[in-house]
Amino acid sequence: MKHYYILSLLLLWTSTIFANGIKPGAQDVKVTATVSKNVVGTGEVFEISFSVNGNIESFNPPALNGFQVVGGPNQSSSYSSINGSTTSSMSVSYDLVAVKEGEFVIGPAVVGVNGKQIKSNAVKVKVVKGRAVPQGNAAQPQRDQVADGNSTDISKRLFLRAVANKTNVYIGEQFSVSYKLYTNIDLVDNALDKLPDFNGFWSQEIKNNNPNVQWEVESYNGVKYHVATLKQIILFPERFGKLTLDPLAMTFVVRQAAPSNDPIEQFFGGSYKDTKYKIKSSPITINVKPLPEAGKPEGFNGAVGNFSIGANLDKTSVKANEALNYALKITGSGNLKLLKAPELTLPADIEKYDPKVNDNINESMTGVSGSREYSYLLIPRHEGNYTIEPLKFSYFNPSTGKYVSLSTGSFAVKVAKGDPGSNVTAYAAGGQQDVKMLAKDIAYIRTGNSGLTRDGEGFYGSALYYALLCTGPVLFLAAFGYRKWYRENNRDIVKVKGRNANKVAAKHLANAQKQLLSGDKKVFYEDVYRGLYGYLSDKLNISAADLNKDNIRGQLKARAVNESLIDQLTETLDLCEMARYAPITGISEQEVFDKAKAIINDIENNA
Amino acid sequence: MISPLFLCAKENPETLFAKGNGQYAKAQYKEAAQSYEEVLKDGYKSADVYFNLGNAYYKMGEMAPAILYYEKAYKLTPGDQEISLNLQLANLKIADKIDAVPEFFLAKWWKSFVLFFSVQALSVFAVVLLLLGFTLLIVYLFAELMTIKKPAFYAGICLIVLGLLSVFIGNLQNSYLHNSTQAIVFNGTVNVKSGPDEKGKTLFVIHEGTKVTIKQNDDNWIKVELPNGNIGWIESVAVKEI
Repeated sequence: MKHYYILSLLLLWTSTIFANGIKPGAQDVKVTATVSKNVVGTGEVFEISFSVNGNIESFNPPALNGFQVVGGPNQSSSYSSINGSTTSSMSVSYDLVAVKEGEFVIGPAVVGVNGKQIKSNAVKVKVVKGRAVPQGNAAQPQRDQVADGNSTDISKRLFLRAVANKTNVYIGEQFSVSYKLYTNIDLVDNALDKLPDFNGFWSQEIKNNNPNVQWEVESYNGVKYHVATLKQIILFPERFGKLTLDPLAMTFVVRQAAPSNDPIEQFFGGSYKDTKYKIKSSPITINVKPLPEAGKPEGFNGAVGNFSIGANLDKTSVKANEALNYALKITGSGNLKLLKAPELTLPADIEKYDPKVNDNINESMTGVSGSREYSYLLIPRHEGNYTIEPLKFSYFNPSTGKYVSLSTGSFAVKVAKGDPGSNVTAYAAGGQQDVKMLAKDIAYIRTGNSGLTRDGEGFYGSALYYALLCTGPVLFLAAFGYRKWYRENNRDIVKVKGRNANKVAAKHLANAQKQLLSGDKKVFYEDVYRGLYGYLSDKLNISAADLNKDNIRGQLKARAVNESLIDQLTETLDLCEMARYAPITGISEQEVFDKAKAIINDIENNA
Repeated sequence: MISPLFLCAKENPETLFAKGNGQYAKAQYKEAAQSYEEVLKDGYKSADVYFNLGNAYYKMGEMAPAILYYEKAYKLTPGDQEISLNLQLANLKIADKIDAVPEFFLAKWWKSFVLFFSVQALSVFAVVLLLLGFTLLIVYLFAELMTIKKPAFYAGICLIVLGLLSVFIGNLQNSYLHNSTQAIVFNGTVNVKSGPDEKGKTLFVIHEGTKVTIKQNDDNWIKVELPNGNIGWIESVAVKEI
């Protein structure tokens, strides 16, 4: 807290002492003209001061037309020594009273410094109609009484300003906001009422290591103020549109000199009163633009700023189930802390764990900058040659308004076969336990008969196999054909009988033939007789007992055997009957036998 | 002059098999596997050789060939408990755990039935049965007596039916043993694509030792189905058929 005002009042009463012998600093010499108020009422006292960062050798005040000088010139000087170099500053001030209403420009003062004539800036002062002096407070000034003041009275002398370095930004583009306290009034106490909450923004406060507020002198609208930066915040808009930053609200207790006519009191600093003021910074509207859709790269995930990337893989050759470290470093300035971990696409067999994030980030009024490192732990589960595809990272550069795509290199990883058994533990599932309990080792090899066979060598598929398979059906067909042919051949009874007549005759005359050879004539004729009878009995299907000549003749006639044959038959039969009792002459036994045979043949063929 | 010939002559497969068994017993699994493979190279095969070879690979920690040979052995003797057990143990050590649908018991019975007799035995049966059957039919053709004719006919028909059945089963067995539809993945990692094209989308990934069913062949690509029903294309070099 600076008691500048009091100091200047004190200086009014003391004689001016020039601090000589102090050399000005090496910096440029400047003369600044400031007024304590630039809007004053008629009859109101205000101060104009000209400050020089050096020794004032001569001073020509400007024409103060329209104002009445009630005090001054007052001189003050200060010097400071930093690291051995001494700088000094001096100021000359006048107390003025406005006489007329209107706008006035106080011209430059010409100051001689270091042998040069330097002009100060001109100052504008607006004089309004004088206000009535508050009577109550002035009449009975009470110490230690804090009254609520009307903030409009003091708004020119104590105010908060929010200053943004940009008001037209893209989503995600960083900008900074400073909340500054401007005052040229005596402050006794202060309290923070409300910190702004930055809806729609991601905020990052710039940490100040110094717990004390640093005061600086700054002129604003031509008025000199003591300025303290209360808060500095870097903001990242999260949505587009017109976003308003909430004001910062504070309450101050201001000590003001109470008008007093008592010169003694005035000598000791005058009476004063403490007044409480609630003040707010004016809200700032930030115009947030959406990121352009045109040219938005695939996989863009909201990085805005200016970045560079680098990737690194710690090993390129491992065994299965051994860990690899893949690190991606993003360096630059922008919304680093808001970056999402880039999606690392890996071959399906490389297991990936969530990345470990390592930040090295600084915040300053120029923005958030530094680096962020994502390190991924990768575990290849199976042997093989894998390629880790390049990682793509894209960001929006708000200063150029364009997207930038970056890509890391690709990495080849050679994975050798892991130690046996290691992957079993990685994949063992609970459900497989029961099998394990059945047996811990495989069944032993078979050592007995090998049972070896060779393809295409065996009986199966050989020509012999097929030949034998066909033999059965072929034989069957042949037999069937033969039977058919046989039946076909024997269907014609006459032919068959004819074919068989000799056989039939021979059969019946078989005994006779024997007797013919032995020469027993009597038995021979008997056998021929019996043979014929036997034949006829078979042929005509008449039992031998029923057979007689009439019978035979009738049956043969019925079978259309011709008469001569029947006559021959009966003749032969008679001959055989006769031969039983008397020897036969004129015909040999052989002839009889042949005749009988021929008859049987003929009957066979005819009947 | 004779001795070089004997040196060049291949070892008897039975002795090779026994040699492999001896090496296995001495825990020389690599040498044992070589011996067994030599037997196979000569064109001989049996469930036992496949089984022992599978065991040798299992002991060497190479699960893909172990599973392949167990599967081959199991194919020859479906329902064999030991093979099935070893196969399960080997399958525990591979990356992909795919719950296979258990084979329907009737299908298993039918397979065992088809494979019960060797194809050689079946072919002998077929020839003998058919010859006998047709002989009986010939007897039927020519026999005069009903007491011979009738039984000869029925017995002949029965024998012929049995003979034809033997031929049929023999053919079934032959095609089952020689037409492979299943394969084991041999590459560490195989990307299963949506089509027979390197640039196709990767549907899923399977690993060494996984059994797949081959649905279709297309140049160097095969369409495979996993036991859980997923279908995709892989390069045919990545697998070996059972």
